[in-house]
Amino acid sequence: MIDDEHGLDNLFREYRASCPDFDADVNFMPHLWEKIDARRSFWALFQRFARTGTAASLALFLILVLLNATSEMRRPPVAPTYADALAADHTAESTYYAEAIRMQPVSDQSLPDAGQQDR
Amino acid sequence: MLVEQELIEKARAGDAGAFNQLVLAYRRRILGTISRLIGRPEDVEDVAQEVFVRLYYSLDQLRTAEVFEPWLYRLTVNASYDYLRRSKRRSESRMSDLSEQQVMLADALAGAKQRADEQHKSQVREFTQALFSHVSKEDQLLLTLKEVEGLSLKELEAIYGVNENALKVRLFRARQRVLKAYKLASEHGSL
Repeated sequence: MIDDEHGLDNLFREYRASCPDFDADVNFMPHLWEKIDARRSFWALFQRFARTGTAASLALFLILVLLNATSEMRRPPVAPTYADALAADHTAESTYYAEAIRMQPVSDQSLPDAGQQDR
Repeated sequence: MLVEQELIEKARAGDAGAFNQLVLAYRRRILGTISRLIGRPEDVEDVAQEVFVRLYYSLDQLRTAEVFEPWLYRLTVNASYDYLRRSKRRSESRMSDLSEQQVMLADALAGAKQRADEQHKSQVREFTQALFSHVSKEDQLLLTLKEVEGLSLKELEAIYGVNENALKVRLFRARQRVLKAYKLASEHGSL
């Protein structure tokens, strides 16, 4: 176990020696600035698109609000409350069925005798 | 610190000359660290450039110039992590492959001494990377910073912003896994 621990430590040391510090080639800095500029132009483009998108969304929102407001103004006046609308709908003409339910059932005695009338 | 705090402040304010000096001062160190973190010399410059691009665009988020170095290390770790995650060439070496690599190493040793030395280094890198594949990429980076780079727990705490005890636990577990893979490789005669 201890041998393995030492072996692993030695391997790590050897690994470090196999990956020594080194300096970059002469094109390192020019390439770095190219990458920085490329990312900057990407962000600039992205920001421009984002700004245009935001402006378009805002304009659409305002148009929709305006359309909604004008259509509200043009709509004919309606009953202001639900109760009023219900009352307006339940007129006497539309409640005949309730009257029919309240009627007394017709009995045989109350009817005039059909045979006597024939005579 | 390799540079004056004043230079960092100037770079933060958007001074391109100051940023250039900052890059020149830390370039060598960052290249070396990345080389050990990713284990592939051919891709080190690309990752280093990514680190400095990120530095350029995040300098304004730096609270004080004093925490510049841990900040730069964090950017380095993040960029290396992204590289390792993206990399399709990541070696998924099994222990059985390692003995094959050792055979290749033996072949290489028969050649010129310098070439053989270079080949040996390459094999050491491959073998260590194969061992690292037994832990997550995050733990690989953490273990490399501790065991290979030789950073202290205090420095790691500043870089990761994580409690020292939590780091100790993570490091211990990661090392145990790597050790287990190392023992397996020893038993299979891959060493």
